[in-house]
Amino acid sequence: MTEITRRTALKTSLGGALAVTAAAAMTKTAFAADPVEIDLFFPVPVQGKLADKMKELIDRFNTQHADIKATAVYTGSYDDTSLKTRAAIKAGKPPAAVIMSANFVREYVINGDVDPWDSLIEKDGKTAAVYFDNFWPALKPNAVIDDKVYGIPYQNSTPLMYYSVDAFKDAGLDPDKPPETWADWLDAAKKLTKADGSRWGIMFPGTYDYCGWLTSAFVMQNGGQYYNHDYGGEVYYNAPSSLGALTLLDTLVNKAKVMPPGVSDANACTSAFFAGRLGTMLLSTGSLSFVRDNMKTPYKVAFLPKAVRNAAPIGGASLILPKGNTPERQAAAWTLINWLVSPEIAGEWSRFTGYFSPRKAAYDLPDMQKFMSDHPDAKIALDQLKFAVPWFDTFNTVAVRKAMEDQVQAIFSAKVAPADAVVAAQKAADELLRPYVEQTALKAIG
Amino acid sequence: MTEVGLSQTRHRIIIRASSGLTTDRGVTDSMIIEQRAIGADVAPLPAARRRSHRWLPVAVLLAPSLLFLGLFTYGPVLRVIGGSLIVGRFAGDHALGFGNYQRLFADPHFARAALNNLIYALGTIVPSLVLALALALALRETNRFTAVLRTLVVMPLLIPLVAAAALFTFIFLPGDGLLDFYLHKLGVPMINWLGDTDLALGAVIAITVWKNTGYYMLFFLAGLAGVPQDLVDAATIDGAGAWRRLRSIVLPLLGPTFGFVVPIALLNAITQVDHVVTMTQGGPSDATNLLLYYIYQQAAQNYDTGLASAATVISVAALLSLSLISFRLIERGVHYES
Repeated sequence: MTEITRRTALKTSLGGALAVTAAAAMTKTAFAADPVEIDLFFPVPVQGKLADKMKELIDRFNTQHADIKATAVYTGSYDDTSLKTRAAIKAGKPPAAVIMSANFVREYVINGDVDPWDSLIEKDGKTAAVYFDNFWPALKPNAVIDDKVYGIPYQNSTPLMYYSVDAFKDAGLDPDKPPETWADWLDAAKKLTKADGSRWGIMFPGTYDYCGWLTSAFVMQNGGQYYNHDYGGEVYYNAPSSLGALTLLDTLVNKAKVMPPGVSDANACTSAFFAGRLGTMLLSTGSLSFVRDNMKTPYKVAFLPKAVRNAAPIGGASLILPKGNTPERQAAAWTLINWLVSPEIAGEWSRFTGYFSPRKAAYDLPDMQKFMSDHPDAKIALDQLKFAVPWFDTFNTVAVRKAMEDQVQAIFSAKVAPADAVVAAQKAADELLRPYVEQTALKAIG
Repeated sequence: MTEVGLSQTRHRIIIRASSGLTTDRGVTDSMIIEQRAIGADVAPLPAARRRSHRWLPVAVLLAPSLLFLGLFTYGPVLRVIGGSLIVGRFAGDHALGFGNYQRLFADPHFARAALNNLIYALGTIVPSLVLALALALALRETNRFTAVLRTLVVMPLLIPLVAAAALFTFIFLPGDGLLDFYLHKLGVPMINWLGDTDLALGAVIAITVWKNTGYYMLFFLAGLAGVPQDLVDAATIDGAGAWRRLRSIVLPLLGPTFGFVVPIALLNAITQVDHVVTMTQGGPSDATNLLLYYIYQQAAQNYDTGLASAATVISVAALLSLSLISFRLIERGVHYES
């Protein structure tokens, strides 16, 4: 494969950020003699206490490893982290490792901004395939790209169905029998919805990012692939499985009217749920502890409803190795990463954050087994992993995802029919993917 | 008042750039504009004495400013213009040309952002200026009552736009939000203010008007203080009613204030998108996407520097010409007191 490097460099818009990052990186790498100094960029998509926990973990790592001095650098949201990582790579001062949103990893590979972990894995006497068996299989398509390991999964989530026990009882439904299929779900929602608007049957976030995540879930539940999991230049927005999924959304909002019209954000969903004005909601497993802390009446969780199959897309972050690090820094980063994803530490991070641990062995530890029996809702989230499907990632991920999201949001406002929406989404996505497709799948040979 | 002072400094610099006033007179001229804007008497500039052997100290004194202006203002401007002309996103297939501009004008998202921005500009500037003027007229007399009211009107200015947007996310929350709570008591059903493609831009506009009105009112208050009372009294004696006095005396004398406030308002309509970032990310379905956020999407989300640079050049060019036009139009109609 020819090396494809995007030459854009973000020079113009990022001049300032670049200079600052470069200066920061410089002070850190200036005395790389002994011990090896490495920096880890990490985002905190939720709240501040996670940043404190990360600092604590890194301190513990440093006391256990005298030959390495690791520093955790808090870099804002997932998007900000990607921005800062790119700027640092362009400035020639890449961080030793980054906790990167897993759906961005493929773009880093396409742009030639990351190194694979394979040589470090092989130094430990393992093949990449054997090493990756440590993690849940659904995490593989977002991490192992073109047969090389570019991402080491670190923290993950899937969507989950939350439902209110009181609302179910009030509507004459059995709270021990959550809806399992789309048809059951729609039936239940009709019973849960009150005509005066005081309770809705279904709500889920339709804002950018969440919208694409859940749309991919519906399409895959409907038997579809949604996008080419192995090649970043194809999406299947115009497939029957996609049309069926969008027709479901149209039915929920505009025909059965069991879901409020327009786009709701996560805030609107949870506040309606907490106020008893909502029967079922789809939300990330990452929100489990937030719901647990704020819901005053009993609630339960269940698998996402299925059409022809169960499917729950992965979300979360993986550790990547930016290009341009010295072998010493790479080796030190590898030591840190192996420590971070060791079953003990991965389990501790999982219990603290609410993300599930990508490391399968973490769940064999006594601490983790106790936690799972104390929190049956977390157990259901874990059980759903056997139906986990990969996370949408293509060339131009955010824009291509948005091509579909704009159409879904238009359906929520009854502005477009599903049949027209899938055509428009496919057309917009193809246009966005074209530069990459022309450089790869359609590139003339010879 | 510190924040007001800071904003003024920022705006002064921009006015200088947009009005085309140059180098050594620039600062002084813009200060005069500003003093005129608040109605102060300013004598015309004395002719600058230029002697050829004096250029060295001048150059030495200007050098630090020029260096930093070059590094952080003119340099980036040139790079953006250069970047907009480099076509191609992958190594080995780039060339110089206007391809980015072609792609930009063919992009329906850009057209939507430009249209949204136009609606947003009209929807924020006209109501907030009318309201600001009306409030300034109503609160121009200083007493304890108007002092309290003025403070209340100016208050939103002191809240950062990001914080205000976060606040309004909760006010607009469908069902449980403050707005829906009271509307529900009036029998209005639940409204999804930020999630409806038809309402979202209106909601964003409403916040902006709420945020900016107090700021503009300050300038109108200052301008009104400069309207000579004897002129107003004379007109009253001549039998002019309140409306006539406003139309024939107060508004013309507020010309310099308009000349300052309108370009500022135009500038705000392009450069202030914090609430879009915080509340809607340009959605739903691009309904609240504005030019600056579009540029951010291209640069930071899609890594399409060429398209982002082209959009920047077009937006800034549009902003500059609009500012210039409004500035010239208003300057032409300005009546200075002396």
